[in-house]
This record gives sequence, structure tokens and C-alpha cells, in this order.
Amino acid sequence: MTSITLDESLAMEANCDRDEVVDLRSLELVSSYDDHLMCPICHCPFVRPVRLQCDHVFCQKCLNTAITAFSPSPFSPGRDDFTCPTCRTPTRGVYLNVPRLLLNMCDDIKVRCPFRGEGCEEIIPRGHIQSHVDKYCGYRLMKCPDSSCNKKTRKKDLSSEGRCLHELQRCLRCDEYVAEQDYEEHVKDLCPSLKTTCPDCQINVLRKSLREHIDSCPEVVHPCAASKYGCPVKVKRADLTTHEQTCPLIAMGPYFEAQNARLDSLELTIRHLQQRNEIFEDGISNIRSTLAQSTRTLAEQDSPTNSDAPRRRDSTSNQSQIDSSNLYTATTTNYLLSLHESLREEVGQLSNAITDLDARASMALMNECLRLKEDMAHTNAAVGSIRMQVQWLLNPRLHQGQRAGARPTNANGSSNPASASGPSSAAGPSTAFLRPRRLSDSGREGTKL
Amino acid sequence: MGSQKRIAKELAELVESPPEGIVVKLADESNLYTWNVYMDGPEKSPYQNGKFLLNLSLPTEYPFKPPTVSFKTKIYHPNVTNDDKGSMCLGMLRADEWKPSSKILAVLQFARQLLAEPMPDDAVEGRIAEQFKNDHSRYEEVAKEWTRKYATL
Repeated sequence: MTSITLDESLAMEANCDRDEVVDLRSLELVSSYDDHLMCPICHCPFVRPVRLQCDHVFCQKCLNTAITAFSPSPFSPGRDDFTCPTCRTPTRGVYLNVPRLLLNMCDDIKVRCPFRGEGCEEIIPRGHIQSHVDKYCGYRLMKCPDSSCNKKTRKKDLSSEGRCLHELQRCLRCDEYVAEQDYEEHVKDLCPSLKTTCPDCQINVLRKSLREHIDSCPEVVHPCAASKYGCPVKVKRADLTTHEQTCPLIAMGPYFEAQNARLDSLELTIRHLQQRNEIFEDGISNIRSTLAQSTRTLAEQDSPTNSDAPRRRDSTSNQSQIDSSNLYTATTTNYLLSLHESLREEVGQLSNAITDLDARASMALMNECLRLKEDMAHTNAAVGSIRMQVQWLLNPRLHQGQRAGARPTNANGSSNPASASGPSSAAGPSTAFLRPRRLSDSGREGTKL
Repeated sequence: MGSQKRIAKELAELVESPPEGIVVKLADESNLYTWNVYMDGPEKSPYQNGKFLLNLSLPTEYPFKPPTVSFKTKIYHPNVTNDDKGSMCLGMLRADEWKPSSKILAVLQFARQLLAEPMPDDAVEGRIAEQFKNDHSRYEEVAKEWTRKYATL
């Protein structure tokens, strides 16, 4: 169990990189492998795995990148608090000894030779790929032995004399220029002037005209023209016309075409309508929200005056062109309705107040009348008592007057009215009350005289 | 560039066997670091039937630095900012929470899970979180409305 420090691990990496011919991570894997063999950082099967204290395994290269990318906090510089990229356990040592089993499993994964593009079809365990490419693969690209040529040559094509194989040679048949290393293949297989046989009718044609031939070859199997409407028939081109004469789907073809066109146009219309619908829905929701807003503001105003109308118009003018007219009519109707409502309310209040006042006035009137009546009764009583007193006071005077009158009746003519009124004093109490006063007056005058 | 290989690998896996309701594409074929993610709203959530476009951008230091996820489609969600950025708050994407072994697949699945079950206690939109907790039916209504409005193609 020997561990090295993180910095030592970084230094090791630099040494290892040099002797690697193949990048193991970019190889095409043929066999599937267990997910546990995958490095959590590069997501490839482990390449030269190393282990941390917490038993998590990474490729050494990936771990080193993680160490370099790890940015320590400003308070603790250095790599002392580097944590495991998987479990975040602080770690300082790197163990190079991972289980042999792990290495074997990683080495056993089958990969393709990286020079597949050049023609190598080998599939080999990953553990052997370095030596394969290094020693055995004939398709590995090597530098051209001619130092003035900077092209690359496959290893197997390298001639023993060390000649450059990139000089162009002219093909004798098709007049094309081909590099020497490809010449053999060109003459044998690729030259367009070579004869080849049509795979269907077995006629020999030139390679360059094979494509045109296939387009017209009567033996080529061709699908029925109505295949897009579901006709499963595939016959040779020669028999195609006889089939198409009897194929029911061909007869239906124009009808299907028309239907397709109709469907397309309908879909287009539907899409337009959907768009319009969306626009309308947006407009309606806008209207609804502004309506709710304006009714709220209207409710807050007890007595809407004329100045409110232009204000409302101002607020509506901010709305979009679509809903402004609708909105305006809606708000005016609303405004008129509420105006009507408030007026009705006011009238009701007024009539209430009037009946109230009426009742109060008649009440006051009645009270006043009662008081006046009482007063009048009092006055009447007072007048009655005064009359009584006056009568009582006058009585002795009357008696005195009668006694005195009896004596000068004959001697003094001025006493005539008194004697003339004598019989009328018996007519009623009121006249009886008035007469003695006159009598007394005249009596007083009489005494003064 | 070690990051490119890993990103290409993860992308290939996601394209080959996409997780439920998630489709991944490169925003630009020549740039591996910006992805377009098309996410279906999870069933039985107010985002159902919605198609959301997310932007996943990977740092060049990936996988040592976390990717960032943002919603390009407007969404009414307590954990997504309600602006043009649409940044998403994912715990596992914070720099100190991120592990190089985390996969993008996990990030995307976590994001979709968050659509199904928002986390109002870890919200970036406090108002929506408040509504989510106190007036849940109203929240669902608005979220559905927004989904219908912005997230249907």
C-alpha cells in the first residue's frame, strides 16, 4: 500500500504521455463493458487507473486534470484540501496499485483498430492495441520516405527501396491521373472504363455507364407507381406496365391526389384559424381584465362627474387597436348604467328626506296648535276671573248708583240714559257687564262735573 | 480537450436512448457546448402537454465545472426566474455541490422532476412560491394558463 502525493502523480503523467501511440479513449469499442469500469470523469473504460484513499478509481490523466482544475479556496492555498471528485472525501495520496482484476477487465474490452478508415478490419482486445498498431497493423499511416513529400503512406505500401509513392501516373484507359500507391487498385477495380456486369440482367456494361443502365434496365425490380398509396407490388420494369393497367390503386391515383391537396389546404386553413383564435382569445382576456379594472374604479366613485368620462377614455386609449372600440362601448354603457343607478338612488334619498321633513313639520305644527289652544284656554280663564273680579268690584258701585239715582231721577236730565238702560240690563250677562261700566264712567264724569 | 470527448459521448447516449419526455439537440452543429433541450411537461402537473425549450450550456472545464440550465420558454414555476434568462435553480448545479461524476442525463431528469414537484423552500421566485404554498389552486391555474399560452407549439 504505497501512495504518492498529488504532485508526484502530476509529474508521473508527463512521463507517461510520451510513449503512447494510440489514444485509448477515442477507440471504437466493439464489446459492451460493465458500467463500473467507466471512469466517472471521462466516461471511458479506465485508462491507467489509480485509486484514492476512499477507494474511488479514476484514470490517472483524469485525476490529474481534476487536481489541476481544483481551485483551492483563498484561505488555504495549495492542494491540501483536494477532495475526491466522486465522494468529496479530502484526500492527499494517490495509490497506484489498483486490483489486477480491474486492469484485466479493462484490457479485455474489444476495440477496433484506429486505422479502420485505411482498411484495417482487425478487432482486438484493448490491451493489445498498442502493440498491434506499433508492430503489426499494415494500415498505419507512416511518413513518406521521400523527405520532400509530406504525404503519408500506409505501412504495408512502403517499398523496401524507400521510394515516394505519391507521384501521379496516368491510367492508360481512362486518362485519369492516379497516385502510384493507388494505381494497382484503380486498374483492377475502380477505373470507369472497366467492364462490369449489371447485377440484374447480367449484361456487361462499362462501369461509368452502369448508373444510366440501372435506370433503364428492364430487369431491375421497381415498385408500382401507386406504392405511396399502399400498393405493395414490386415487379421488374418490363412487367410494370401490365401491372399498372390492372392496379386499382393507380386508377384511384388522381382521386388520392385531389384528396391530399384538399387535406393540405384544410390543414393550412385550420392553422390560420388556430392563429386567429389565439389572437382573439388574447384580446378577450385583455378586455376582461380591463373591464374588471374599470368596474372597480367606477364602484369607488360615488358620484361620477363629467370629468370622469374623458379620464376613462384616456385609460382606454392605451389599449391595443383591436379591443379599444369594444372596450369603449363597454365602458360607456357601463358608465351610463352606473350613472342611472346612482341617480335613482339619489332620488330615493330625496323623497325619503321629504317625507321625513313633512312629518316633522306637521308634528311641530300640531304641537304649536296645542300650545296655542292651551294658552287661549288660560287667557279665557283669566279673562273670566277678571270679569268676575270686576263684577264683584262693580256690584257695590251699582248698588250705590241705584240708590243715588233714585233720588235725582226727576231733578237731573242727565240721568236719563241710565234709567233708559235700566230694563236692558236684564237681557244678558255680557251686556250687563258693559252697561254698568258705562254707567260708572258716566257716573265718574258725573262726579267730576 | 478531454471535455469534448466526454460531452460527445454523453450527447450520443442521450440521442440514442433519450430519457422520457426529453429530446436533446445541439443548438449549433459545430458547437458541442450549447445544447437545446426539448422537455415535455410531466403528466399530472400543470405543465402537462407543454413543450419547453431549455438551454444547457457546458463550460469548457466540464466535467469539473457544472453546466447551467435555463428555460427559453416562459414558465410559471417557483424555481425558475421569471425574466428573459429563465435561470433555473438546481441544487446539484451549484459549484460546491457539483461532482465531475454527475451526468447531464441526471441533470435533465432532475430538472424535469422539478417540474413535477417544485421546491418552494428553495425558490428563486418568492411570490410564486408563496402562492404555491398558500393558494395552490390559483398557482395551478396560472401555470396551466402560461403553459397553454407559451409552451404549446
